[in-house]
Amino acid sequence: MQPAGTPPDAPAALLARIAQGDREAFGRFYDAFAGLALGLIRRILRDPAASEKVLQEVFWQIWQEAARYDPRRGSPEAWVVMRSKTRAIDRLRAIRRREKTFVAPVDESVARSSETPGENPGVAAETKGLVRSALDGLPEPQRRVVELAFFEGLTQSEIASRLGKPLGTVKTRARLGLDRLRSLMTGKVRAEP
Amino acid sequence: MNRDEIAELAAGYALGALDAEDRARFEALLAAGDAEAPAALRDFEGVVTGLAAETAATPLPAVKAALMARIDAQGRSREAVVRTLSSVKADRSRPSTWTLVLSGAMAAGIVAIAVGLAVSAAYDRRLTQLAQEAAALKQEAERQQSVVALLRDPATQVVAFSGLEPAPGAKARMLWHATAGGLLVAQGLPPAPEGKAYELWAVAGKGTPVPAGVFTVDAKGVGSLRVAPMQAAGAVDTFAVTLEPAAGVRAPTGAMYLAGKL
Repeated sequence: MQPAGTPPDAPAALLARIAQGDREAFGRFYDAFAGLALGLIRRILRDPAASEKVLQEVFWQIWQEAARYDPRRGSPEAWVVMRSKTRAIDRLRAIRRREKTFVAPVDESVARSSETPGENPGVAAETKGLVRSALDGLPEPQRRVVELAFFEGLTQSEIASRLGKPLGTVKTRARLGLDRLRSLMTGKVRAEP
Repeated sequence: MNRDEIAELAAGYALGALDAEDRARFEALLAAGDAEAPAALRDFEGVVTGLAAETAATPLPAVKAALMARIDAQGRSREAVVRTLSSVKADRSRPSTWTLVLSGAMAAGIVAIAVGLAVSAAYDRRLTQLAQEAAALKQEAERQQSVVALLRDPATQVVAFSGLEPAPGAKARMLWHATAGGLLVAQGLPPAPEGKAYELWAVAGKGTPVPAGVFTVDAKGVGSLRVAPMQAAGAVDTFAVTLEPAAGVRAPTGAMYLAGKL
């Protein structure tokens, strides 16, 4: 391991090499961030097999589009996180659309045909028992806004209409939520206001 | 723009939740080299990345292996294209007197072959016809053998399909075997309109429907389909039939006519 900050190993430098078609740099970039990406994708999708497919899509896209990374718009980590989030949410929406249009009529027909009832355990059971999160340390209104934005992919105005709150309130809660999360993560927890 | 406003935009941006207009405003700030925006963004990005890192997981080695193989394949096909292009160029840049001699000889050869072909064309047509008949018979015999094998196997299950809204009176039965495929027989379906056919789908749990073949029905509404063995068919527990373009599609688009569960 080289000392931190050594340019050729820094994530941004790896991305520049990937943009030139450097396979080895891609392997290192993958090793550094695939775990981070997969955890987030799983948390959104809650389906391990589908998550690994999305992970593969995300990194394939990174291989092909590394040249589009713009350091002014954020760190490479944040770039990977945002791409993973977007892809996972796209997949989640596709699954929900399909469940509405495809699985529902099947279940209905099976119920009508009076055969053994389908034992779909549902996704809900898997959603229990998630890891304890720094999010638990947030006041409920802030936590809700951060979750809707980050794990469900809603925009701030969508969150406002979902919660029936003014857009300004949603923006403030997002900011206060992230401020407090930062304090929680760095151990500088302040008394809850 | 005051400091609070910048911090709010940065938080929304780091969460990936800004509406288009706000996002454009914030990106313009970043591009313009604003002093506060990048600092605020770095701060919040760290929080968001930290949130993602709470659940970091180790992917299966197969994911990386598949990506690397894809990269290698992409490299190989690029090289092949480059090679082909450069060889075409090289050939064109070296005209030779041999080319003229060879093309003359080839022209003579082509005339001779054309005469020979005319003589043997009739025989060829007959041979082709016989070969086609033999292939059709062989295919039918194989189809029947595979159906008998399915019936004999104790692991073969029978799936009952019932008709849905577009054809409530339709029904179907399918012999289904996890590794040998299946045989679907449907009745009571309306004849598919011009350019359309029925497509069978296999679904494992809440997974993506996998196409399992297309079929049409006769004037009486009866049709059958030999379903080829599928990968990972062991997990399949639901089947459905939809009306689709006659060539079949990769994901269902049309109305569902039949559905059944194992």
